[in-house]
Amino acid sequence: MSHPDLLNTLRAHVAEKLPELDGVVGLRRTVVGTAPYLFRQGDDLSELVLSPRYPLASVVSLLQKRYPQARFGLVARACDLRALVEMAKRQQVDPDRLFILGVACTAEEAEECHCGAPFPKTEGWPQAVALGSPASAGSPNPIIARYEGMDRAERWAFWQEQFAKCIKCYGCRNICPECFCEVCALEDPLWVEPGVLAPPFPSFHLIRAMHMAARCVGCRQCELACPAHIPLTVLYDLLRRDVAELTGYEPGADLFAAPPLSLTLAEGR
Amino acid sequence: MTNSVPEFSEHTRCFLITGSNTTEAHPLIASHIMKAKDRGAKVIVVDPRKVQIARLADLYLQPRPGTDVAWLNGLMYVIVTEELADQEFIEKRTEGFEEMWRVVQGYPPERVEEITGIPAEDLRAAARMYAQNKPAAILYTMGITQHTTGVDNVKCIANLAMLTGNLGIPGGGVNPLRGQNNVQGACDMGGLPNVYPAYQPVNSPEAKAKFEAIWGVEGLSDKVGLTVVEMVHAAGEGHLRSLYVMGENPLLSDPDIGHARESLEKLDFLVVQDIFLTETAELAHVVLPAATFAEKEGTFTATDRRIQRVRKAVDPPGQAKADWEILCLLARRLGAAGFDFASPEEIMAEIARVAPSYGGVTYERLDREGLLRWPVPSADHPGTPYLHKEKFTRGLGRFFAVEFQEPAELPDEEYPFILTTGRIIFQYHTGTMSRRSPKLEQEAPEPYVEMHPDDAARIGLDGAQRVRVVSRRGEIEVAVRLTERIRPGVVFIPFHYAEAAANVLTHAALDPVAKIPELKVCAVWVERVVKDEE
Repeated sequence: MSHPDLLNTLRAHVAEKLPELDGVVGLRRTVVGTAPYLFRQGDDLSELVLSPRYPLASVVSLLQKRYPQARFGLVARACDLRALVEMAKRQQVDPDRLFILGVACTAEEAEECHCGAPFPKTEGWPQAVALGSPASAGSPNPIIARYEGMDRAERWAFWQEQFAKCIKCYGCRNICPECFCEVCALEDPLWVEPGVLAPPFPSFHLIRAMHMAARCVGCRQCELACPAHIPLTVLYDLLRRDVAELTGYEPGADLFAAPPLSLTLAEGR
Repeated sequence: MTNSVPEFSEHTRCFLITGSNTTEAHPLIASHIMKAKDRGAKVIVVDPRKVQIARLADLYLQPRPGTDVAWLNGLMYVIVTEELADQEFIEKRTEGFEEMWRVVQGYPPERVEEITGIPAEDLRAAARMYAQNKPAAILYTMGITQHTTGVDNVKCIANLAMLTGNLGIPGGGVNPLRGQNNVQGACDMGGLPNVYPAYQPVNSPEAKAKFEAIWGVEGLSDKVGLTVVEMVHAAGEGHLRSLYVMGENPLLSDPDIGHARESLEKLDFLVVQDIFLTETAELAHVVLPAATFAEKEGTFTATDRRIQRVRKAVDPPGQAKADWEILCLLARRLGAAGFDFASPEEIMAEIARVAPSYGGVTYERLDREGLLRWPVPSADHPGTPYLHKEKFTRGLGRFFAVEFQEPAELPDEEYPFILTTGRIIFQYHTGTMSRRSPKLEQEAPEPYVEMHPDDAARIGLDGAQRVRVVSRRGEIEVAVRLTERIRPGVVFIPFHYAEAAANVLTHAALDPVAKIPELKVCAVWVERVVKDEE
């Protein structure tokens, strides 16, 4: 299914669903630009678009918290849906109040993102549709193969050079759908000396990476947001691989699988 | 800027960055440099401090502050003697080469090393890298301009770009990165003492007649006015009695602010129009609350002549109004005709009528095309990503012969260090906005002086945390940060902080042409502060 067809199908679905919902979160393009928007009944759905990619899962999470009774719809790509899976496990979204309008990414989009799973997996979600047809997965990120050919010293030098570019804008954290802590370790002087540019190597980026273990769903938003063009998905793809090897856990894959690093222990055990 | 920012990531093969802390002061432009670097572009940084971008550079040269003419002439010496100059460009597009060369031949790298401290071999390597990787772009900011030789420095930069044929091509050019989102637009609109909109001189009879006809008035002044630092001097001397300040905080940003304060206190009447109550506004007789970027419609013209719409997201709070509304209300109260604009779009229609370079700019086009780069002389003109394509504004590009001159105030036995001032990423200018952001303030809450560990040892700081920095104008007390990224003999203080303002110390000596103050070089001494409990 080509993009214009998919977009028309999506708009038709949104129009059909809007009467039952308090609104649908999607991207709206006007003369002013493109931004996340809560489409309500009566809004001009010709303004609903699919690009550029933006982590709408974070937007719907904020809206659900603000309006605890409301039922919203969400236009979700496969990575948005994977993000929602991990957010749901951590009480950041309520699946029962969410209608998922999953949309397929094209093969070109999958290739651009080196995405292995570009079709939204709606299994387990109480209310969901998946629109469009599954495209083939993208090829792996070529930097990873290059990185794997390096020895330890070369890898250290690679990250040293990459992280030296960091301007501490916190863009990677701010855009990340899985970064929702109200108090962030990266802003705690105990862990990260404030006011230093580039931020301390390698602690700043590795603290964030460790916090993302078993949470990062590989949506690539951090890399897209980075103004210093640090290839963050190399770090995060390898982290995800390590987590899978060590625990068998694949973040975002299964709404019901318990995350290995964030179990709540029952009292008295 | 002669060129546009996206050309940096798309075309530029070599960057010569000088007097610009690009990643901290222009992070989004730095983003394009990073992208270019990823595809193999070379980066040369020349700066007295090893700023972040210098750590990523292929070559880093560390001159003594205020010696820019010397090393720039030195680069040209190497390029000419090693036959790396663009002869065809020099012959077809320029004049004055011989005159320039008569001066430049006096700057062999060994002599430049004596003046600047840059090793002769490093200078040669930089000259080769810049000349052999075309297109090459020169990027600079206040580190070049805020000197008594600011105009000379810029002339040398233009010489260097012409010498190598790096003007009038995509990805090359002479690129002053301007510090505020709309400072280019403010200058374009005639926010300077000597020009009408689009740089039409106030002392040109044709321009005077043109504006009198368009505005329906008579007797427009043909006298060049005062620049900002001159205004403060004039206030101090009693020649200037009333001052209207918009979006500027001279009591933190001007040199020698002790003197600036005394001068402004002598004014009969001071009006300050700003979004917050700045240090200058506290002194004002009348404060006019202005709307922020998110509370108004209009356009901003960015550093690369890029005209873009700004759109209102929320209403201004309280009595605040957009600057154009305040000015129109004031003009109408004064009984002036021609200020009956109902919207910024109507103002743009007048701009297009009076400013030839904005002739083809309309809101309708901006909505459709997203942005336009001037000159846009007509409705069907696509705009101009880079200037001087086939010819310069004056026809042939002119080489200037520029001799090196020392800064106005050099270190001596009494004041042995050079103080240079600048910016950090976590604060913005006088902190009017950034110091009100708790997150930014947490990153960089207090002023400090950067000093080389060898200097600290030499003056016996002995682990002291705080020091007093003293110049002939005043003194401040700040924390000390020892770092090897600064040149021995030089200290650096970010100027954002009112509680210990670097500009208490700086020198108000001006460039004779542009009247820009020498904020980047003055002489200071540094001594440890002994606390009571120590």
